[in-house]
Parts: sequence; C-alpha cells; structure tokens
Amino acid sequence: MKKNIFYYLIFAPALIVIVFLTVYPIVNVFHMSFFKYNYLSDTKIFIGLKNFKRIMGDDLFHTAFLNTIVFSVVATFIEVSLGIFLALLFYGQFFGKRVFMVMIIFPMMLSTMVISALWKTLYHFDIGLLNYVLRSIGLKPIGWLINPKIALFSIILVDIWQWTPFAFILIHAGLNTIQREIFEAASIDGANYFKTLIHITFPILSGQILLVILLRTIDTFRIFSKVYALTQGGPGNATETLTYYVYREGFTYFNLGRAATASIYILIVIAFISYFYLRNIIGEESV
Amino acid sequence: MKKKITMIILAMFLVLFPAIIWATGQAEKGPVKLTIAGRDGGYGKAMQIAVDEYMKKHPDVSFEVLKLPGASLYEKVVIDMKNAVGTYDVIMIDDPIATQFQKAGWLTNLDELYKKKGLSLDPDLISTAVKLGRYPYTDSGTLYALPHVGNVELFAYRKDLFQKLGLSKPAKWDDVLDAAKKIRESFPDVYGVVFRGVKGNPIVAGFLPIYWAFGGKVLVNGKPALDSQQALNALKFFLKLKQYAPEGVAMYNSAQVKDALYGGKAGIVTEVWPSWVPKLNDPNESRVVNKVEVTTHPGEVEKSSPMIGVWLLGIPKASKHHDAAFDFLQFITGKEMQIKMADEVGLAPTRDSVYKVAKLVSKYPWYPVQNQALKNAVGRPRTTKWSELENIFGTYLQLALIGSMDPEKALKEANAKMKEVLE
Amino acid sequence: MSRTAMEKKGIIFWVLLIVILFLVLFPIYWIAITSLKYPVENISPVPTFYPHRVTLQNYLNVLEGGFFRNLYNSLFVSTFSTALSLTLSFLATYALVRFKFPLRLNYIFLIWVLIVKILPPIVLAIPLYTLFTSVHLINKLVGLVIVYQVYTLPYCLWMLFGFLKAVPIEYEQAAEIDGASKLKVLTSIVLPLTRGGLVATAIFSVIVAWDEFLFALLFIRNPDLLTLPLRIVNFITEYETLWGELMAIGLMATLPVLLFSGYVYRKMTEGFSMSLK
Repeated sequence: MKKNIFYYLIFAPALIVIVFLTVYPIVNVFHMSFFKYNYLSDTKIFIGLKNFKRIMGDDLFHTAFLNTIVFSVVATFIEVSLGIFLALLFYGQFFGKRVFMVMIIFPMMLSTMVISALWKTLYHFDIGLLNYVLRSIGLKPIGWLINPKIALFSIILVDIWQWTPFAFILIHAGLNTIQREIFEAASIDGANYFKTLIHITFPILSGQILLVILLRTIDTFRIFSKVYALTQGGPGNATETLTYYVYREGFTYFNLGRAATASIYILIVIAFISYFYLRNIIGEESV
Repeated sequence: MKKKITMIILAMFLVLFPAIIWATGQAEKGPVKLTIAGRDGGYGKAMQIAVDEYMKKHPDVSFEVLKLPGASLYEKVVIDMKNAVGTYDVIMIDDPIATQFQKAGWLTNLDELYKKKGLSLDPDLISTAVKLGRYPYTDSGTLYALPHVGNVELFAYRKDLFQKLGLSKPAKWDDVLDAAKKIRESFPDVYGVVFRGVKGNPIVAGFLPIYWAFGGKVLVNGKPALDSQQALNALKFFLKLKQYAPEGVAMYNSAQVKDALYGGKAGIVTEVWPSWVPKLNDPNESRVVNKVEVTTHPGEVEKSSPMIGVWLLGIPKASKHHDAAFDFLQFITGKEMQIKMADEVGLAPTRDSVYKVAKLVSKYPWYPVQNQALKNAVGRPRTTKWSELENIFGTYLQLALIGSMDPEKALKEANAKMKEVLE
Repeated sequence: MSRTAMEKKGIIFWVLLIVILFLVLFPIYWIAITSLKYPVENISPVPTFYPHRVTLQNYLNVLEGGFFRNLYNSLFVSTFSTALSLTLSFLATYALVRFKFPLRLNYIFLIWVLIVKILPPIVLAIPLYTLFTSVHLINKLVGLVIVYQVYTLPYCLWMLFGFLKAVPIEYEQAAEIDGASKLKVLTSIVLPLTRGGLVATAIFSVIVAWDEFLFALLFIRNPDLLTLPLRIVNFITEYETLWGELMAIGLMATLPVLLFSGYVYRKMTEGFSMSLK
C-alpha cells in the first residue's frame, strides 16, 4: 500500500498544475457563454443560448471558421507533401548532408515575430522584393497582403516556409528507421522507384506521416501570431481566423460572453481532432 | 558521474523554483517610480523628452515608459484598471475612449487634486480639448484627464502641382475628386489621393471628414444612422476617390501615408494629423519642402468642421502615486514643456499661447490654421461602445473599399451590427 | 555496398538541393543584410541585394535599448518553465506508466492533457488573467513561468510518456529486489535511462517558451519585464517600422537557439522517433 502512495505523491504536482491552469478556466468559459457579459461596463445578464445562436448566424464567424479550416488543411497538406518529398530526396548519404540538414531547419528556429515582419517587407506592394522581382521580369505585381483573394495564401506561404522543415526531419527520421535490406530486396526484385515508394515506403511510413499531419493540423488550427503581425484579419475579412475572432471579442470589445461562446465552438472542433488523434495514433489499449 | 550531475541539476530546479517565487514577491520597494503607459512613435519620443526633463528637476522620481501601438495600449490599460492592479500611474487616452474610462470610474478626479494642491486649471489650455477630458461631456463636467496632444484632422495638398494644373484650393469634395483625377493623369508618379485604408480605427478616421461633409451621422439619439442616403452618398464618393489612390491603399496606415507625402508620391492627402508630419519642411527627410499646403477640409452638403483627436493624460484610480503623477501631469502640459516637445518632435500643443510662438509658427506654418481648427473642432460620438462601433464601421468600410461588398450592403450590415452592440 | 534507386544522387538532385537551400536561406540572408543597412536604404523603392553602406548602428541601438534585460527575462522564463514542466511531467508520467490509478484516471488525464495541448491558448486567456490577478501573479516573470505550463506541460507529458513507456521494467524490478527505495529507483535508474528523451523534450519546450507571444503580451505590463518577442514587436510602430533594428534584434534573439540547431536536429530526430514507438 505504501508503494501506491508514492505514485499518488509523484503524480499529484502535475495534476494540480493542470487542474489549476485549465479546469477552472474551461468551466469558467462554459459558465460565461450563457451570459451577456461586458467586462468594461460589468453588466452580466443571463441570456441562455442566445450567444450561441448569434454567433452561429454571424457572417464574420463563418468566414473565420472557413479561413481557419482552409489555412489548416492547405498548410498542413503542403507542408507534409513537401516534407515527404524532401525526406525522399535526402535519403541516403551524400557529401555535406549533415550541414545541409542543419541549415534547412533554420526557419523553424527563428522567432515567429521576426519571420512575420520579414515576410511583410518581402510582400510589400510597392517596395517589397517579391514585387520588385515580378516587375523586373515584366510581370504584374501581386497584392500579396492586399488582395483579399490572395492574402490568406500569403500567410500560408509563410507558415510553409517556417514549418516544412519540421515535417521534413520527422519524416526523414522515420524513413531512416526502415531497414535498407527491404529496399535492396525490392530493387533486386526489379521494382522501380515509384513502385517501391507506393508499395513499400509509404505503407511503412504511414504512422509517421499521420503523426506529422496531426501535429501540423493542431498547430495551424491555432494560428494567431502570424495573422496578428501580418494582416490583423484584413483586407476585409479575408484573413480572419477563429483565434483572432476570440481575441477581438475578448480583448478589443471585452465581450467576454461572446468570446467564451466562440471558444466553445472551437472546443467542439478540437474534440473531433483529438478523437482522431487518439484513435489513430495512440489507440486506447496502450494508455 | 553523469547520473549525479543530472540529479543535482534536477534537485536544484526543485529547490530554486519556490525560492524564486518568493524572491520576486519581495522586490519593488523604494523611492517613487512612475510607470507611464503611452504611445509609440513620435508620441513616445515626446514623452521621453518630458520624462528626462522632469527627472533633471526631480532626481528622486524615476520612470518607466511603455511605448505601445494604439490597440495594445488600450487593451493593457483596460485590463489593468479593471482589475485595479495599479501598474500604471499615468496613461495616455485617445479621446473617444475616454468616456468609457470615466463612466467606469477608473480615473482619478483631477478637480479634487487641483483643489487639494490649491491650483486651478490654466485657461490657456484650449477649452474644446479640455472638455474631452470631462465627464459628463460638458464644460462643467468633472475633469478626469488633461489634454496632452492637440491633434486635429487636417487636409493637405501639393501647392506646386495644383498651380501647374491651374487649380485652386478645393472648396468642395467634388473639387478634390476632380483635382485627384487631373493629378493622376498628368503626373504618372504621383497618386491623386492618399488616405488610411487599414480596417478599424484608421479607415474610419480617414473617412469621417467626408462622411460628415456629406451630412452623414454615426449616431442619432444614440441609434446608429449609417443607413441614410447621405451616408450612402458619402461612401459612393469615397469609392470614386479610391480610383486615384494607390492600389494598396487598403493596407495604408499612418506610416505609409507619411512616406507617400514626404516622398512626393501623394497629390492630396485627405487626412493629415499634424503629429504625423513634423518634418514636412525638413529637407533631410522630405522631398516636398514648402510644396505642401496643410489646411482644413473642404465641405460638401455641410460646412467643414474639423475632427478633433486629442490624446489625454489621466491617472488611474488604482495608481499608488496620485500626487507624484499629478505633479508630472502639470509639468508635461505646461507651456515650457509643450514648446519643447513641439519644437523637437512636432507634438501638437494644446495651449493657445504655444500656437503663437514665432519659432514654432515658422517651422510649422499651419499652426494658425490648426489652432483655429482646434477651437472649432467637433469630437467623435461620445459613447462607451465607441471602440466596438468603430471596429464594425471600419470593417465594413474596408469591405466596400476593396470591392468585396457593395456600398449599400456594407452600410446596411454595419448599421445592423451596431444596433446589436448598442442593444 | 549496392545503392538502391532511392539513394542515387544525380545532377538533378544537386540542382534541386541548391534551389531548396536558396529558398530556405535567402530570407535569412535578407534579415542579415537588412540589419546592416541604413534606414534610407531599407525603404528605397529598388531593393538592394547587399548593403551599399554598412552600419552597425542598428545593433548598437538594440543593445542600448535594454536588449540584455529582455534577454535575461526570456532566458529566465524559458529555463524555469521548462525545468518546472520537465520535473512535473517526469514524475507524473512515471506514475502513469507504472501505476494504474482508479477511475481510469490515467486515461482521463492523458486525454484532458491532449485537449489542452490542442486548445488555442486564447481560450484560456481571460479566465487565467482574472485568476492570476487574484493570486498576484500578473506582471511577474514567475507568473509567466507558471502560465507557460499551459504550453509546455502538456507537451512534456506526452513526449515523456512515450520515452518512459519504452523503458523496460526489468531493471527497476531488479533494483527493488536489491532493496532500493522507489525514489532511488526513479532517480538512479529511470532518470539516466531517459536522459536523451529529457534533453530532446527540454529543447522543444525551451523553443516554445522562447517564442511565446500571447500570454507575454497580456500578462506583462512593466517595460522592465518584457520578453524578447514583445521587445521585437516594439520595433513595429504604427508610424514607422524600424526595419534595421527589427532585423538586428531578430537575429540576436535567434542566435542562442540557432547555435544549437545541429544539436536540436539530432535530438529532435531521436526524440520523435522514440515517442512514436
């Protein structure tokens, strides 16, 4: 019995911190979502499900929701595809490999704020480098951050630049755990490169790839700093995201009730993602 | 061996951690230290000048100055005052937001502090600006904040280009449109017109002079009035103007407007705040020395009434240094300091006499106009919800500006959203 | 040794490699040259590909602007939040791996932690702000250390869970038969066995804390206590962006982490492939 107390004792601190930092706030969020609560004027009125209805019918929320999904799916897809491509490209030994790989992970080490500021200069419509290059080869400049049809993709591009290295090294690590003999055997059997890829490499790598997909989905779903630094949700509502929506309701308007309600919608989406995460990566029996 | 080291490190962390929590709780005692939450850019520089001067005279007082962009300043002071944390002793307040703070009772009553110190308010401070610090918003309301920066929205155009084209000072907004078109056609390097198009506060401030001139109102009897014909006319006119604006105007903020003006790329700037352009006639910074006329806005349906945008200074109730903060307030709004700040960084004064200092007038030739404008200026609507209304208005204006929504729909939806907020 | 198709590197490979390296490194090169240019050159309508007049003024301005103070704050916060997370999660995950708590607590706890990990932190920001105000942790570096547990603790818990699961129980059993106490087993057997995993986890936790922006923005009020990301944003003002200074501080703020890139790369590869198993 004494043995068990030991486990309780070492488990307790982490449990306490997690409860302190998350359980109360989340309960609080649920509570608040039923109120019309303005932080500034301190009026707090119970309004039942009205917040939920109102946000459901809010165009801005729809746009934010859609943008977040587009951002998350497109960024993840491209990052993972490029990561796979790079991992395959870098497979095996060649001159200077280690150095090159270290260089490739530079972007993810840089501060997000610096990266955003940097790309903001590159994207500048009038004096930015990208448009300068376009103009000098005789093309029309692109409104990277000012064209509502393009702005979201410009932010995605920044995310790709920053985080493809992450996908790359994880998949590369996975690739290196596959025994060389398997490839050698396949090549003796006369399988060509693509056949090997489809029938051998991908099936073995699928676990690793799925992990990377989930990690990137989670991360891109929470996109905030880049929007804050690059566009602040504009032009129009072209780059509004869910987190930015909550931020504005909460910290610009101080409508805590509505911010809480929006958070709950986010929670619901996250519950779905977690469910897939658990089913595919961890599996209940291993816990 | 390695085992041991890891162990030791781990043990150290475990011990150190509570120790540090305890230690940081103990810090921060000693002589008076005023923490100021202010703006960045030129405002920040001006504040630094005042703080440095003040410290020369009062070596016992030290300062911490926070220089923040507008939105983040607002968010920080609100949270701080709401929780009565008392981090800040002096805060800068944009005048439309002041109502909110005053109503919430977060600011110290300055009338009482004046009485306590046996002082009275200097009548040299321009009364339209002082009034913005009063609540209720009347000449006899209680004073909660002092005017620090006497901004008023002005209008600028290139005299030289107007002359070349045989144009005279625009009297109506239609003349502006006409001039913008001619400038764009005759000078391919120059944008006909430049204004702020960033969503939220900037585009609203940029649009309001036009809106008002066309007879539009934001609130009528506390209800949103964006769905009027006048409002629609104003917005449609705004979109016509936009044809002669830079392509990226939706991302133009004060920095871009300033650069365009200094760089000689702007024919007309529909919205200039004097604090933006202190170096307009400085050949090291500006390519348009003495070529720009800064004046009041044209009218249209209604006569032009300039828009005031004063930065106020207040003392949060939760501050622990009311007296010291008040003394600093008196110092920074004093004549001597205002002259110095105006001279060095072009901060717009709030004292009548400062606008008449010869040295300043020769440097900033628009000072008489600005002084006059300040005295006749009108403020933005006084409501506790202004920041939210402004954001809504700004979002839909930009949607119309970039062509994502037609003007009728934008105004109608903005109106509906505002109604929701004011419910 | 025969080479499989995947390993053959032809001319196309090298061309591709150069293109990729260019795409990755050019923006970083741009940061570096921008930090060495005079302000006039940075807003010139024709971008220059190298600084025509080199200056170190930007770096001096940053250093004089209290860079070391911010560096200290960032170091403090990321070190201690990582240390705290690592300690808590090492202990807790060991318990989770070796002991089945009643009421399916193991399972519930891990799922809850996962949800927290996925949750956008903004959702927790407002209630946490109120909570921290009431316990006087606002505007203190220690407050940041604690609130960063929202990011680092779930991350460390999940990472270490993977590592600890991979530790064979036989060693511990043997030690226990020899009469070692539980605590002794934990510190002298389990800890050394998972050292690699701990380091890998720590590195990532440091990076997350180093780059954190939202809570720092909301919880820190005194200029004295700003962390590096907050200082960085200060160079983007509404009236002008100080490109030179911005890029200079950006490079300097990244340098400590950048220097470890090689190490990180190795550890991260180890870390993730282990946690996957």
